Amino acid sequence: MRNAVAEPIPQGPSAAVEVRGLAKIYRLGRVDVPALRDVSFRVEPGSFTAVTGVSGSGKSTLLNLVGGLDTASAGSITVMGKDLALMSRDGLARYRRSGVGMIFQSFNLLSSRTALENVEFPLLFAGVPKAERRERAASLLDQVGLAGRSRHRPIELSGGEQQRVAIARALVNRPPLVLADEPTGNLDSRTAREIVGLLAELNRSRELTILMVTHETALAREFAHAVIRLHDGRVESEEKLR
Amino acid sequence: MRFRDQLELSLSNLWKVKLRTLLTTAGVVVGIGALVSMMSFGTGMQKNVTETFKSLELFNSITVFPEGSGPGGSDPDRIDPHQPRRVPAGTAKAVLDDRALDAISKLRGVETVYPDVNFPALVRFNGREEFRLVQVLPAKIAGSRMIKLRAGKPYLSDDADEIIVNDYLLRRLDVKDPASAIGKRIEIASVSFDLGRLNPMDFSSIFQGGKLPVSKETYEFRIVGVSENMGFGPGSVWNELMIPPGAARKIKKLPFTSIWDIFRLQEGAIGYSALNVRLSSPGEVDAVKARIKEMGFSTFALADQFAQVRQAFFFLDMILAAVGMIAIFVAALGIVNTMVMSILERTREIGIMKAVGAGDGDVRSVFVFESSIIGFAGGLLGYGLGWIVSRVINRVVNYFLARQSLPAIDYFAFPWWLFAGALAFAVAVSLAAGIYPAHRAALVDPVKALRHD
Ligand SMILES: Nc1ncnc2c1ncn2[C@@H]1O[C@H](COP(=O)(O)OP(=O)(O)O)[C@@H](O)[C@H]1O
Ligand SMILES: [Mg+2]
Repeated sequence: MRNAVAEPIPQGPSAAVEVRGLAKIYRLGRVDVPALRDVSFRVEPGSFTAVTGVSGSGKSTLLNLVGGLDTASAGSITVMGKDLALMSRDGLARYRRSGVGMIFQSFNLLSSRTALENVEFPLLFAGVPKAERRERAASLLDQVGLAGRSRHRPIELSGGEQQRVAIARALVNRPPLVLADEPTGNLDSRTAREIVGLLAELNRSRELTILMVTHETALAREFAHAVIRLHDGRVESEEKLR
Repeated sequence: MRFRDQLELSLSNLWKVKLRTLLTTAGVVVGIGALVSMMSFGTGMQKNVTETFKSLELFNSITVFPEGSGPGGSDPDRIDPHQPRRVPAGTAKAVLDDRALDAISKLRGVETVYPDVNFPALVRFNGREEFRLVQVLPAKIAGSRMIKLRAGKPYLSDDADEIIVNDYLLRRLDVKDPASAIGKRIEIASVSFDLGRLNPMDFSSIFQGGKLPVSKETYEFRIVGVSENMGFGPGSVWNELMIPPGAARKIKKLPFTSIWDIFRLQEGAIGYSALNVRLSSPGEVDAVKARIKEMGFSTFALADQFAQVRQAFFFLDMILAAVGMIAIFVAALGIVNTMVMSILERTREIGIMKAVGAGDGDVRSVFVFESSIIGFAGGLLGYGLGWIVSRVINRVVNYFLARQSLPAIDYFAFPWWLFAGALAFAVAVSLAAGIYPAHRAALVDPVKALRHD
């Protein structure tokens, strides 16, 4: 089965993310559920790419594979020139630690820890000393506009603030790539716009490559450089905006 | 992950579920507490016995019996007491008399030899009467470490009309303060058999009323020392009254206590029923024993018995430890249960850990740390609990012993290795209990763990 998109995938050594013939099949008892079938695309370094598609089209599955949280059934994913399929379990953990930052719709913050501690958390596994952890986390909270909220627990923060904490956490290990799975799904439209605006700004100021799943096509068109539309586990269309 | 961070992370996780942590730890506390008090009891008993043996110089003592009697010889109880034992004519039996005593005392390594001489007597003191065995003990032995004095001092001469009384007997005689008895006069009425009227072939007649072939004579002694009651020991030192040999010679009594001595007397071979031999060091026991056996006597050395005593204590320890182990096993199951529950509840947290870069090893070690911390805390507190329980039991037991006029003993021992062992064991068991849950935690699928809804 070939790529549904007719035009050849742009070739080049400098892709941030390169996905080729990617397939993921979930096995539910005796039934095979194909979540992704032969997906191929490229993400340029420093670009802000949006992934859209109806619910169940395989967007989250794609992000989890690129994020190294799951393994593909077929095909390859190359991030910054490294093939994820060749990585061991520990290698994948190291990749998740410093190669990629993830942001989720439901924030996935640790409820018993303060904003600062949540941002610090990934640094624990990187073996960064406490003082440096504090410093880096505080500086990032400042950058996402939460300097005054560092001692608050997630429950004491609004949805938008929680997502900012999650963004700061995704950046704390200074990864070149950030994956966001419907980061605005739980937010009102004004806050959603602020969050996507923040991501776009980080993309510009830090030359961060961002791959963001979203339902909000208007926001995608306003901020993203490219939009990939998934349908039924395939790339339906790829659009370059700027 | 740094050790400190790991420790802090695990501690904060445990702190989040304080009650559950407390209850799980309580399980370990009870288990280790049980094990510690059991082990400390076993060790304490062993220590008591060993130290008593040492302080009584039982390791360098040998008791000598005439061939065919005493422990190790043929069993005298199995011979019909109405049928006097006859030595076949021509069989020269070695007699435990003064000549034998002399020969034994000349052996290399022998320090003192004294006959085991007891006689029954009526003791009158403080307006009361008790029937007791009086032991004849040389001044040299009375002044040795074998006799521990509560009050006063030992008699210094073998000819003094002085006596050492045991504090247990004093209490029986209604004397509360042992020191108050020092210097007082005590009456000993010897009950001596009138040999001339004794017909061994018609022994039963003696006890069938009629006229007993006994006569009574009263002697006065001055109490110079009050000895401590010894719980056990060889025949030589557990008697409640001790007099020097010179004084004993003046008393009309028979130099025997065993009925067999009477028959031996009949055969014209009078001797002591036993000799107590004290050696210069425990190392001489085997050599001296061999020489004495060559002389035709049988011997009994507590040093020999001690190997068996030690083995018995080993088994006692094992049984006590096994009982403690059951409690530990239950505690370990509690830890497994707590950790598995905790993993089910913290699936999302594990997913987050993995998403931000924790490896399988990081996840595993967080859980292993948590269970080890429970084990460490449980081990420390459990040792404390075991200690407290032992103290309480010791007090209660000694309270009742004191009411029975028995000396206080510390039944429990807490050597340093018990503390180190208990702690190490608690941590090891908890660590082992945490391994399976930690393994399961490491296998959590982050995608499933993080799926919202
Ligand atoms: N763990 C899973 N087991 C079985 N099927 C799954 C699993 N995860 C996702 N799927 C299925 O794969 C398809 C794609 O899911 P998903 O990637 O979550 O879509 P989207 O994020 O675009 O809504 C869906 O049909 C979904 O039911
Ligand atoms: Mg989704």
